[in-house]
Amino acid sequence: MQINSTRAHAQKSLLSCIIGIGLLIVIATFLGNDTAKIVTDFTYISVAGTLVVLSILLAARFKKTGSHGKAWLFFLGTAVSWFIAETTWSILEIVYHTNPFPSLADVFYLGGYPFLLCFVIYYIKPVKKAATKRMLIGAAIISISMMLPSIYMAYNFDPKVSLTENAIATSYPIADSIVFIPALIGVILFFRGEVNFTWSLVCIAVILQVLGDTTFQIATFTNTYYTGHPADILLLWSYLFFSFGVYDHIKIFKKVQNNKTKSTMA
Amino acid sequence: MKALTSVAIEKALLDIGKPFLDKVSNKLQKKYNCYIPDCYEHPEYLDNVLRSIFGNSTGTVVESIRELLAEYLDDDGIHLLVQKIGA
Repeated sequence: MQINSTRAHAQKSLLSCIIGIGLLIVIATFLGNDTAKIVTDFTYISVAGTLVVLSILLAARFKKTGSHGKAWLFFLGTAVSWFIAETTWSILEIVYHTNPFPSLADVFYLGGYPFLLCFVIYYIKPVKKAATKRMLIGAAIISISMMLPSIYMAYNFDPKVSLTENAIATSYPIADSIVFIPALIGVILFFRGEVNFTWSLVCIAVILQVLGDTTFQIATFTNTYYTGHPADILLLWSYLFFSFGVYDHIKIFKKVQNNKTKSTMA
Repeated sequence: MKALTSVAIEKALLDIGKPFLDKVSNKLQKKYNCYIPDCYEHPEYLDNVLRSIFGNSTGTVVESIRELLAEYLDDDGIHLLVQKIGA
């Protein structure tokens, strides 16, 4: 009952944040390019920072114990890497007034993906035996169909776009699609369980990343990207879903005061 | 045998993460007013709690508990527990 009411509250808060961030970026874009840059960049730093704080709390709760302890450490690695990337992007754009794509920020954006992949793999590791070949094939088919538009665009790109820009912009949706395979399997494996809500949020976050990164790739190839672009709204929403997923996990596994666990091992 | 069963359950849950062990213990306490060692007499309590947390993947958690108790199946209590959980 308590979990259900907390979850209903979290769902309402998530919806409010989604609407709030969407409106904030749209309004900032109407106010001009400079306002859009500042508002979008600071929103990115805030949401990525929130994700880091929540990940630290959860990693501290699991304290490297078991497979999930390692999983949440990897997730913390992703959150930190992306936070550094967002900060680097903002400094390059607002302080140095340079085009932040491609830049050092991309090293940290891409650096977050191996951690994220390790997170999902370690999380489903204890229950991997429950995964069937059919699940794996199904998830792989959906994943491949998600990355196909990006690969197609990579081969038909505007010659004005450099090879480096093409390679980096294309690698994002591909990396997202790879992470999506174990993420989707996780949703199926934990279906009807308490941790399913977390997994659903993580999976939606990855889908939003695929959409955001594909939109970013299109905008880069057509030279129409600006900070505050709809791709940014999708990517900010993705951070929100990750954050609420982690928050839900903190709530599920929060320490209970006066816990009289009669244990033979602990 | 009760202690052995308890150790096996705790080991299987600790392999996933300490908070999972805490969660199962708390749920057993809240819902059935019992502790992990009591699952030896009431395996159905453990079964219900594991299902509520792990959903579709309960079977694999149960499997790891079964593997740890495989050598002691000649004990009636353990035999019943292994049969009842995840059935």
